[in-house]
Amino acid sequence: MTEVGNTFKDIVCTFCGCLCDDIIIEVDGEKIVKNTNGCAISKERFVGHMENRCLQPTVKGNPVTLEKAIQRAVEIIASSKRLLIYGLSSTENDAQREAYRLAEITGSVVDNTTSVCHGPTILGAQESGETTAALAEVRHRADLVIYWGANPAAAHPRHIPHYIRQPGEYIKDPKKDRQIWLVDVRETTTTRMVDRFLKINPATDLEVIQTLRALIRGTKLDVTEVGGIDIKELEEIATAMKTAKYGVLFFGLGLTQSWGRHRNIDAAIRLIQDLNAHTKWGLMPMRGHYNVSGANKTSTWVTGYPYAIDFARGYPRFSPGEYTAVDMLARGEPDAMLNIAADPVAHFPRAAVAHLASIPVINIDPKFNMTSQLAEVNIPAAIAGIECDGAATRMDGLPLYLKKVIDPPDGVIPDRDILRMMIKSLEKVMK
Amino acid sequence: MAEHLILKNGVVFDPMNGIDGEVMDICISDGKIVEKAPANAKAVDLKGNAVMAGGVDPHSHIIGSKLNVARVTSPEVNRHHPYPATSKTRSGVAGIIPSSFATGFLYSAMGYTTVVEPALPATKALGSWEEIEDIPGLDIGLLPLFCNSMITFKYVEEGDIGGLAAYIAWTLKKVGGLGVKVVNPGGTYAWAYGKNVCGLDDEVPEWDVTPRSIMTGIAQAVQDLGLPHQMHFHPTNLGRPGNVHTTMQQLDAIKSVKPSGKKKEVVHLTHMAFDCLGVVEEGMANWKDVASGGLIFADYYNKNKHFTTDLGQITFGQSMTMTGDGPFQHSLYLLTGGKAKWSNIPVDVELPGGAGIVPFTFEPKSPANAVQWVGSLEFALSIKDLWRLFLSTDHPNGGPFLKYPLLISWLMSKRQRDIWLEMVHKFAVERSTIANIEREYSLNDIAITTRAAPAKILGMDKTKGHLGVGADADVAVYGFNPEKTDLGKNPDLILKHFAQAQFTFKGGVQVSKNGIVAKQIHSRVHTTHPKLNEALSARIDRELEEMMSKWFSHSFSNYPVPARYREHLEIPRVIDSTSVQA
Ligand code: SF4
Ligand SMILES: [Zn+2]
Repeated sequence: MTEVGNTFKDIVCTFCGCLCDDIIIEVDGEKIVKNTNGCAISKERFVGHMENRCLQPTVKGNPVTLEKAIQRAVEIIASSKRLLIYGLSSTENDAQREAYRLAEITGSVVDNTTSVCHGPTILGAQESGETTAALAEVRHRADLVIYWGANPAAAHPRHIPHYIRQPGEYIKDPKKDRQIWLVDVRETTTTRMVDRFLKINPATDLEVIQTLRALIRGTKLDVTEVGGIDIKELEEIATAMKTAKYGVLFFGLGLTQSWGRHRNIDAAIRLIQDLNAHTKWGLMPMRGHYNVSGANKTSTWVTGYPYAIDFARGYPRFSPGEYTAVDMLARGEPDAMLNIAADPVAHFPRAAVAHLASIPVINIDPKFNMTSQLAEVNIPAAIAGIECDGAATRMDGLPLYLKKVIDPPDGVIPDRDILRMMIKSLEKVMK
Repeated sequence: MAEHLILKNGVVFDPMNGIDGEVMDICISDGKIVEKAPANAKAVDLKGNAVMAGGVDPHSHIIGSKLNVARVTSPEVNRHHPYPATSKTRSGVAGIIPSSFATGFLYSAMGYTTVVEPALPATKALGSWEEIEDIPGLDIGLLPLFCNSMITFKYVEEGDIGGLAAYIAWTLKKVGGLGVKVVNPGGTYAWAYGKNVCGLDDEVPEWDVTPRSIMTGIAQAVQDLGLPHQMHFHPTNLGRPGNVHTTMQQLDAIKSVKPSGKKKEVVHLTHMAFDCLGVVEEGMANWKDVASGGLIFADYYNKNKHFTTDLGQITFGQSMTMTGDGPFQHSLYLLTGGKAKWSNIPVDVELPGGAGIVPFTFEPKSPANAVQWVGSLEFALSIKDLWRLFLSTDHPNGGPFLKYPLLISWLMSKRQRDIWLEMVHKFAVERSTIANIEREYSLNDIAITTRAAPAKILGMDKTKGHLGVGADADVAVYGFNPEKTDLGKNPDLILKHFAQAQFTFKGGVQVSKNGIVAKQIHSRVHTTHPKLNEALSARIDRELEEMMSKWFSHSFSNYPVPARYREHLEIPRVIDSTSVQA
């Protein structure tokens, strides 16, 4: 840790999948007073880390000690027949690893937020493989960068300015030597930051991608437009993609969660694979939560699978659509839920939330969220990368060490330690 | 937690100490083999069963993002292979790319105790240390890749072998590496431009370096540092018919490297089954004309002592090819007509073109696969000195490590080979001399090629690969009496016993019995810390900070793996490299 007085350098921002690690944090006594280099969201995350904090464990809204809250959580878990463990994308790797252990000893289902964001990306990769990219390589080499169904200006504010619109070893002038394009169904704040905006009709992503594939393969198409774009323009785009020296496609939820879902991603992967017969291309999902990539990674090495895992038989089984949290809840299957570092009540569809409201929920999170209002047990946690250390994975797979810059509030501990306490006492109960 | 033990009445195969099937007792105390166990030692009567040091596997892909990408993209290969939890051990999946806990347990069950992951992108090392936390029961090493890194190229271009050596030393220390891996030098970099290299003096885009200057430069730097393990080398032209000739050319080129004095060998050629394909007389370099290169390469091996090798045996059935050789993986994908799931994973600065993954099935009835299968067996059965060879399948490339018993049976049993020659395409017989080879490996030969030789090749033979006093108490007991069992005549017994050791002891702790693992202990990680002289050390700190800050997309200070992930696992070995000049 580079520490100058109370200034910390090269701090990793634990908000979005960019995991910018050049943040300078200044601490004055017990307060974070300044964040240099971070975007507006990052500043809010660090300087505002004490806002809206849950500081006190509660059971049914009544303040209790940490031990009492854990005791009640363990009672709920031990008496449940079908526990759902969910979340895990906004915390660090060790908390995730403890969650799998808890799922294994209780025979539960464990799922992370992938199932409601880039789940289709994984299903697409299961069809076709994954031809990925790496952020420094994009900066050094890419002369054509395309964002598809993504709005980095809002969701990943430094993605373009910090990683992409920067000079690299072989791209000396990032304005002249590198084209940045955006494909989306509407104008967004990102539109202003790119060199070219391609507006396609809603729900035509798959058609447009397949058309590009056909054109790249040299097929002549007897149509005048696809997805609202003139075929002449599509031909010109296909040629540009084929003749780029090094291309990268970044895609967001606009592609994964729109009509076609995993088929869109499957087609996009095949498009990139086809292009590699001509030149060099890669693609990368714009992962949202800062450590959702890490959640997939830890889950995969521990269980063999990236999300949607059931331990009911004493070993991991994988079935998206079946062991995914929303589907489980919509079917009314879980009789209790342990939620860690996510806010399902805010993001899940109504039927899933309705079932959530009818079962005991244990919620571990640093802050108050909509799920805490509904949870029977609330346990506050330290914020990884600010109040405790840990590890996380950037959207391109780079692991980074998260540092602690300030003590957590009195009595508040990391979620991994809360989970360890639960496991310890469960092992006693279940013997 | 380690016990005091006397393993009594085992028939011991310990080639490093010249013991070939003698009945003797092995004494264990505090995790080490000792002369005499304390009086309170627990005695275990092995009743004449075979005893060897724990297995040592210097080349098995068990850690890293390539494994995770393979698991994520191909869940079907693990779905039908659950590995259930017990009250003492964690669960997982145990197909051809097992999950982390299962990987450790499956190795323990077979009597293996040391495994090296031979392809670590150094910049992603933190993730590997985290994974090792969940891979139990082994001594582990990691080999960072230096072959296509822009930093390597800069030093090679300037002919600055001292700088290159210092970069290697710095990286081994900062991320916790054991040795140095080289994969298709220059080729995976060229892959960032959609290209590859094949000749020794081919150009590499943007840089004034060649495969020759990269491979000899790195091999020399490894020797200058005095690293215990020579450069671990995956040559160019992998998987191309006729490549046995280009492989020999590359090994010839590396002859110019001066050994450090401790060992004669300056390079380890890995997975020769993929590097030593021949072609029929007057044939073309294509799959139609492929022939075994086993005999040609055995002849070269017998005459040239500056290298060691391993088999990378293909074993038929589903496998998962994964290498740091991106252009090779892409060509494999094209070979499937673009149907296979092809993955490519570029790594910042160190592997710009990217490692690749392609699921692949080796078919016994495929002429090409049958020839590749026979080539490495012909080689192994035709060489004189087994001390420069170890058995491998390049897990999971040629097949999973779970197929080692099958590989052992092919080497130990002519009968088993004849059974398989009936099943595979006739080219295996027609394009090799296998049918005429009577040689059968003895148990001593197996002990050499699965324990003693690999430990020596890794430079870990002080504590690994043998059962002499001072060795780590890593012991495998196999449930047959070698004096009463004719394994050559009964290949099924080879499969049975080598798949499930009767006992496996790791550091004196019994981790498995009859193939069932009942103890989950932390693995340890062996690393090499070369100590540089002050001038060179200061210089490399300065130069790397400048290059890394400019080239990586994350901060220089965040590159090293922090102590908190290492100190409870790491066994660092400090070596004196102060003679390398600044
Ligand atoms: S872009 Fe994302 S990771 Fe970077 S500073 Fe902003 S919120 Fe943090
Ligand atoms: Zn390999």
